[in-house]
Amino acid sequence: MAVTESAKSSHHHHSAQDEAFSKLLEPVYQGKKLTDPISTAKDKWALLPAFLKVKGLVKQHLDSFNYFCDVELKQIIKANEMVVSEVDPNFFLRYVDIRVGLPERQDSDSDADITPNECRLRDMTYAAPVFVDIQYVRGKAVIARNGVCIGRLPIMLRSNKCVLTNKSEQDMALLKECPLDPGGYFIINGTEKVILVQEQLSKNRIIVEADTKKQIVQASVTSSTHERKSNTYVLSKKGAIYLRHNSVSEDVPIVLVLKALGIQSDHEILLMVAGTDSVYQDTFSVNFEECSKLGVFTQQQALDYFGARVRTSRKILTTRKSYAHEALEALATIVLAHVPVKNLNFRPKALYIAVMTRRILMAMANPQLVDDRDYVGNKRLELAGQLLSLLFEDLFKRFNGELKMNIDKILKKPNRTEEFDAFNILTGHGHTITQGMNRAISTGNWSLKRFKMERAGVTHVLSRLSYISALGMMTRISSQFEKTRKVSGPRALQPSQFGMLCPSDTPEGEACGLVKNLALMTHITTDDDEEHVIRLAMVLGAEDVLTTSGQELYAPGAYVIFMNGTPFGITRYPARFLTRFRKMRRMGKISEFVSIFINHHQSGVHIATDGGRICRPLIIVENKKSKVTRRHIKSLKAGKLSFEDFLKKGLVEYVDVNEENDAHIAIYEHEISASTTHLEIEPFTILGAVAGLIPFPHHNQSPRNTYQCAMGKQAIGAIAYNQFLRIDTLLYLMVYPQQPMVKTRTIELIKYDKLPAGQNAVVAVMSYSGYDIEDALVLNKSSVDRGFGRCQVLRKYVTTLKKHPNQTMDRIGDRKSDEDGNPIKKHRIIEGDGLAAVGERIEQGESYILKQVPTHTANNPAEGPQNRLGDYKDAAMNYKLADPAYIDKVMISCSESEQTIIKVLTRQTRRPELGDKFSSRHGQKGVCGIIVQQEDMPFNDFGTCPDIIMNPHGFPSRMTVGKMIELLAGKAGVLSGNLQYGTAFGGSKVQDMSEILISYGFNYSGKDFVTSGITGESLQAYIFFGPIYYQKLKHMVQDKMHSRARGPRAVLTRQPTEGRSRDGGLRLGEMERDCLIAYGASQLLLERLMLSSDVHEIDLCEKCGLMGYSSWCTTCESSKFVTRMKIPYAAKLLLQELLSMNVLARIVLEDEFPNKLQ
Amino acid sequence: MDGFDMMDSGTEGPTVTIRKADSTRADFVLSNVDLAFANSIRRIILAEVPTLAIDLVEVINNSSVLPDELLSHRLGLIPLESSNIDEKMLYTRDCDCDGYCERCSVVLTLVAKCTGDRNVTVYARDLAVAAGAQLGNPVITDEAQKGSIICKLRKGQELNLKCIAKKGIAKEHAKWQPCAAVAFEYDPHNKLKHVDYWYETDAKAEWPASANAGWEEPPQENEPFDYNAVPNKFYIDVETVGSLQPDEILRQGIKYLQEKLATVIAGVQKTAGEGAAAATGADVGGMDDGYGGARSPDMGDANGYGRNFNDGYVTPYGGAGGAGAGAQTPFGGYGGGGYSNGWP
Repeated sequence: MAVTESAKSSHHHHSAQDEAFSKLLEPVYQGKKLTDPISTAKDKWALLPAFLKVKGLVKQHLDSFNYFCDVELKQIIKANEMVVSEVDPNFFLRYVDIRVGLPERQDSDSDADITPNECRLRDMTYAAPVFVDIQYVRGKAVIARNGVCIGRLPIMLRSNKCVLTNKSEQDMALLKECPLDPGGYFIINGTEKVILVQEQLSKNRIIVEADTKKQIVQASVTSSTHERKSNTYVLSKKGAIYLRHNSVSEDVPIVLVLKALGIQSDHEILLMVAGTDSVYQDTFSVNFEECSKLGVFTQQQALDYFGARVRTSRKILTTRKSYAHEALEALATIVLAHVPVKNLNFRPKALYIAVMTRRILMAMANPQLVDDRDYVGNKRLELAGQLLSLLFEDLFKRFNGELKMNIDKILKKPNRTEEFDAFNILTGHGHTITQGMNRAISTGNWSLKRFKMERAGVTHVLSRLSYISALGMMTRISSQFEKTRKVSGPRALQPSQFGMLCPSDTPEGEACGLVKNLALMTHITTDDDEEHVIRLAMVLGAEDVLTTSGQELYAPGAYVIFMNGTPFGITRYPARFLTRFRKMRRMGKISEFVSIFINHHQSGVHIATDGGRICRPLIIVENKKSKVTRRHIKSLKAGKLSFEDFLKKGLVEYVDVNEENDAHIAIYEHEISASTTHLEIEPFTILGAVAGLIPFPHHNQSPRNTYQCAMGKQAIGAIAYNQFLRIDTLLYLMVYPQQPMVKTRTIELIKYDKLPAGQNAVVAVMSYSGYDIEDALVLNKSSVDRGFGRCQVLRKYVTTLKKHPNQTMDRIGDRKSDEDGNPIKKHRIIEGDGLAAVGERIEQGESYILKQVPTHTANNPAEGPQNRLGDYKDAAMNYKLADPAYIDKVMISCSESEQTIIKVLTRQTRRPELGDKFSSRHGQKGVCGIIVQQEDMPFNDFGTCPDIIMNPHGFPSRMTVGKMIELLAGKAGVLSGNLQYGTAFGGSKVQDMSEILISYGFNYSGKDFVTSGITGESLQAYIFFGPIYYQKLKHMVQDKMHSRARGPRAVLTRQPTEGRSRDGGLRLGEMERDCLIAYGASQLLLERLMLSSDVHEIDLCEKCGLMGYSSWCTTCESSKFVTRMKIPYAAKLLLQELLSMNVLARIVLEDEFPNKLQ
Repeated sequence: MDGFDMMDSGTEGPTVTIRKADSTRADFVLSNVDLAFANSIRRIILAEVPTLAIDLVEVINNSSVLPDELLSHRLGLIPLESSNIDEKMLYTRDCDCDGYCERCSVVLTLVAKCTGDRNVTVYARDLAVAAGAQLGNPVITDEAQKGSIICKLRKGQELNLKCIAKKGIAKEHAKWQPCAAVAFEYDPHNKLKHVDYWYETDAKAEWPASANAGWEEPPQENEPFDYNAVPNKFYIDVETVGSLQPDEILRQGIKYLQEKLATVIAGVQKTAGEGAAAATGADVGGMDDGYGGARSPDMGDANGYGRNFNDGYVTPYGGAGGAGAGAQTPFGGYGGGGYSNGWP
C-alpha cells in the first residue's frame, strides 16, 4: 500500500513539475515568441530548462549531500568498523551497515511527519536518525542487531532524505513550503544554515612552481587520504634536487630517496627521471654526486640515512624501531600517502617521485612549464557532503573511542550483576554525534583534530532578504585565501572560469574575486570509482606503467596515463586512446563525469574521476554537424526525451575545465568548422543566477553588472510563497511587486518572474528641481500614494519561558489596570493572556509580552525567609522602536527541550520617503531626493507623468547602455502589450523596438516631447521617457535616522554612548577636532570635548596634587589648599587607575595669568 | 463673456471646441486663452477638485491574507461616485461633528466571507453604501459590472469592514484625483520653436506628427518666424477615473481657480492698506498655506497615510461664498459663460 502511494505521489510530482517546465519549453512563453525561425541553432537553448529540470538550481549541494548519505557514510563505517576491547580479547563490536532514516520528530507524541517549516517556527533541528546494523559479542554468542540509532543527522532540505523530495506544488503548499525554494540548506535550532562551497587547490596532484628570484623550482603534492593529509615537496636548490616533507627533519637528496624506495641502480634512476634526453640527464647528474658524497649506495644505506631523519611522533611509546624500519614505514604511509604501497612494493611511489622530479627538470629547462595555481582546472570545490563526511568521521571515531572506554570500564569489573550487553551502552550515548553535528553546523567551526583542521565560518545563515539573495548564497563559492593578502592572482578573472564561474557576480572590497558564484549550467562532480576506469583503460590498450623502464616511459610518442594524478599506464597512441575512451564514456560505459585530456607538454593523458571538479554540458559536434538536431529538440519539447536521454544517447556530454582545453567549442551553429568538437548550449549560461537578472548586460560597462549583482540581493520583493507563514528576525516584503517588463531567459529559469523584487517605473531622464544631483531621484507623489515602492517590514521578537533549577518557571503575567479598571497605557494592547493582541498598533514603550521571572532561581536552600519561592518580578518585553508597528502574529509553542517559546511578529508598512534607496538593474543606485506633486511633474502628449525622474548625468560616466535599451524595449513592450527580452548576448533588438515605437506614433529613439507641469510650456529638449525596472533597496532612512541632544551615558567613562541603537551621541572625531584646533576655536573645543561630554568636578589639593572630596584632602588631612576644578571624567578615571597600579600622578596647578591683579 | 476682455489673449473671448466627449473623457480645444490659464486649469483639475474617497476604515474582522493597512490602501483607491459633492458634503474639518457624520462622510460597508471550497474574489461592487447617502457608490465601468478587485478570500476567511468615505483633494492624496491623465498640447507644428527637436537626419521624418497637427495650419516653407507669437490654442484631453463627469471636473476646476484668484486679489488689496473687506481677513490669513502647497498628510499625526483629515492639508477657501464675494472677482458669474455649451 505504502509503495503504491509513494509511486503515485512521485508520478504526481512529475506531472506538476512538467507543467511548469513545459511552459518554458514552448516557443511562445507567456505570449512572447522567443525566436522566430525554428532551427536547431536557435532552439538548442531548450536544453537549458531541461537541464535545470533534472538538476535544479542548487543541485551541487543536493548531489553532494545525497552522496554523503548514500555512499560516504558506508565508507566511513567500513573504515572504522571494529570496536574491540583491550580488556576482553574476545569482545568485538562490528558495524555492518549504516543508513539515514527520514526526518522525524523527537517529541513523539504525534507521528505526523515533521516539516521544515515547523522546525523553523519552533526553533528545532531538521534532522533524521542515523541507524546502524551491528554485530557484537554478548557472553559467548555473537549477536546481530539492526537499526540501532547512533545519533541524529541534520538533513539538507530537498535532498533525497528530506520530506520535500518529489512533492508536487500542492503537497508543498500543504507542508507550508515554497515550491520555488531551492533547498540545499539545513535547519539547526530554527535557523537556516548554508554550508558554502569551499574552493581549494586540488588534492593529490602535482603543482610545479618556480621562484625566479630565489632560483627555486618546486613540485608540491598535497596528499589526502582518509587517515592523513600532508604536503610533499620535490625541489631544486642550487641545481640539486631534494625531497622535503614535514615529517622529515631536513631535505633529503632525491637520488637517496629513490634508492631508499628500491631503485638502486644509478642508471635506472637516470632513465626514470630524465629518460634519454641529454639535457635533462646533464641537469640531473649532479644529484648522483650529492648522494655519493653522503656515502649512500645501497637501499639499506639510504633507509638508514632517511630513517635517522624521520620525525616520529613521541606519543607512541612503543619500542624504538630501527632506522631502516622507521624509514620504510614513513615512506610507505607518510610520504605521498595517497600513492598506495601494497606488499612493500615501492615502485609506484618511486615512479611518482620520479615524475615529480622530471617535472622539475622540465621546468628548469623551460620556465614556462610551470603550473598556474589559479587555473580553475587545478581547483576542487568542497561541498556540504565532503565537509560533513570529514566531520562525521571525526565524530564517529570519537563516538567509538568513548564507546570503547565505557565498555572497557564495565569489562574491567570482575563481577557483574547482569550479563554485559554492549547494546545498552551504544544506545546510552547518542549525543556525541548529534550534538557534534549540530554545533559544527550552527557555529560554522569545523575543528578536526585528525587533520589539524580548524576552520571557522564554514556555515552562514541563509540570507532571506530576497529570493535572489537566498539563491545567490546557494551558488556562492568562498576561497581559502586570506582576505588580507594583497595578491591579485587569485582575485583576477581567469580565462578558464569561462562557463563555470560567473564573471560578474563577486563582491567589491576585500573579498573581491575570492568569493565567486557558479554559472547557471554547471555541475560539481562527486567521487567516482577509479578501479573500474583503470580496468577500462587497460582494455583500451594502456600498458601497465610499472612494467616499463624509464627508456620506454619517455620514448618519443609515448604518453603516460595518469589516474587522478597518479601514473598507472602508458600508451603510444594517445589520440586513439582518447577518442576510444570518450566513445566509451558517451556510450555510458563509465560515469559521464569522468574526464580525460591530453597534456602534450608533459606527454601525459590525464583521467580524472575525483569529486569537486566543475563541469558543464556541451553539445557534441561530429563531422561539422551538431549531434543534437531539430528532431531531438522536437522530442524534447514534446516531453519524449529528457536531458538524461541526451546524455545517454551521446548527444551532450559534461566537460570539465581541463577537458575544455582539448575541445574546440563553437558558440553558434554557423561557426562550426572542421576542428570544432563541441557546441555551446547557450552563451548566456556563462553568467550566474544573480547576474542573469540584468537585461542587456552585454551592453553595460562590466563593473556595473558587478554592482548590480551586489544590489540585486538587497532588493525588497517577494521572498517565497510561504513568506506570510514564516517568522523571521527581519523580513522585508514589497507590497505590489511586479515582474519586469524586460525579462531575461534566466529570470524565467530561476522563476524571478514569480517572486520578483521591484516595480516597472516610468522614468523620465531629465534634470528636475536640483534635488536630483548626485544620483538622487525625484519621485512622483501620486505614484507613491498609489503604492509605488511601498514595502512591509516584519520583525520578530522572541522569548522563552525558562525552567529554573529550583523547580520554578518563568510565566506570563496579567495586565495592570488603573483605578477605573482600564488597562494602563503601557498595557493598552495586552489581552487577557498577557500577550499583545493581533492587529493592534504598538508604540514605543508599550509591552507585548508580560513575562515574569521568579525572583529567585538558584537551587540554594540557604536563603532568607524574605526570598520566598513563588515571588515573581516583571520582565515584560517592551517595544523599543520609535516608529509604531502592528502586531502581525503571535505564536506560542514549545521547543524540543520542552520550553515554551513565544514569538511576536510586528509589521510596519512603509511608503517611500526622502532618503530611501532605489536602484535600477544596472548598478545605478540613488536615494529619493524629493517627492513632487503629480501636477508639477512633466508629462508627455498623453498626459503620462513619470514615476521617477532620473538625472541624465548618471549615464555618460557609467556607460550603462543596457539601461537605455531596457527603457526602449520596455516602452515598446508597454505599447505593444507584451513582455520583451533582454537576455545576455541576445534579447530584443533595438531595431525591432524602434520599429514598434514608430508604429505606435513615437520617435524611434525612445525620446518624447514633454511639457512642463509647472508652467505648461513644452520643454525645449526631448526627453528619454519610458519604463525601467526599479528595485527598492533595504536601506531606508527610517532605520538609520538618528539624532540626540541629551541621552544615556556609558557607565565607566560617563561619556555619551555610541550608536543609534543606544541613542548615542554623534562623535566629534579626531579630524573634526584637528579642524577646530587649526581654527583656534578653543572654547568650542572645550565645550565639545569636555562640557558636553564627561565633565566632572573634582576637589584637588594644590599642595599634594591629589584628589580629595568635599573640600578635604585626605592625604594632607587639611582643607586649606583644596580647590575645585573641572576635568573630564575619563581623566579622573585615568589618575585613579594609575593609583591602583601604584603609579602616583600629581596635578600641579599654575596660574594662567600670574601678573593679573586679583 | 465681457469679463474675458481683460485678458491679454486678444479681442475674441475664450472658445472651447469639443472634439470628443463621453462620460469618462472630454477631448476639446481651448483657444484664445494664454498658456498660464490653460495650464492652471490642468493643474487644478488634477489636484484640487474635491471628490469622495474612503479615508477611514474600521476593521471589525479581517482574516484575509492582506493586512489591514494594505486593505485600507486598496479601498481608498477605489473611485466613488461624487458628483455635486460641494453641494452635498462638507469637509470633515469644516463640520461641527467630532469624528464624522452624514454631513461630512459616507459610510460604506464591506462584508464578505468565503464558505465554499472555491476562493471568493471581493470586488468594488461588494461595497454597500449606507442607505440614504446621496453619493459614494463605487464606480464600476467594466462590462462584468464588478469593479476593481479588492481582495481574494480562501475558505473560512472573512472581511467585515466599515469604510468612511470623506471629501478631499488630490493634493493630499492621489485617491482623491478625479482624473487619471490630462493630455495637454499646444502648437503641434512647433511654430513657436519651443522645442528643439532632436534628429539624426530629418526632424520631420523622425518625429511623427501629433494627432492634433490636423487642427492647425502647417508652417509654410520659408515662413518668417513670428517671435511675438504666443500659444493660444490648447488641445486638452481629460480622462476621468469615473468619480466625476468630465464637464463637472472642468466646471469645478474653473470655480476653484476663481476662488484662488479671489484670495490673491483680496490679499493684494489688504496689503495695499485698503482693508477692503474686513470680513475676509480671516480667510486671507490662511493664504500662506495655500501657496505653500500641500502639507505632509502625516503632519501632526503619526498615523501615516493621511488618515486624519483634520490635521492634513488645509485649503484657505472655506466656503465658496465668503472670499469670492468679498473680493469681487471680475469673473464673478461664471455660470452664464460659454463654458457649458455642448456638454452632454
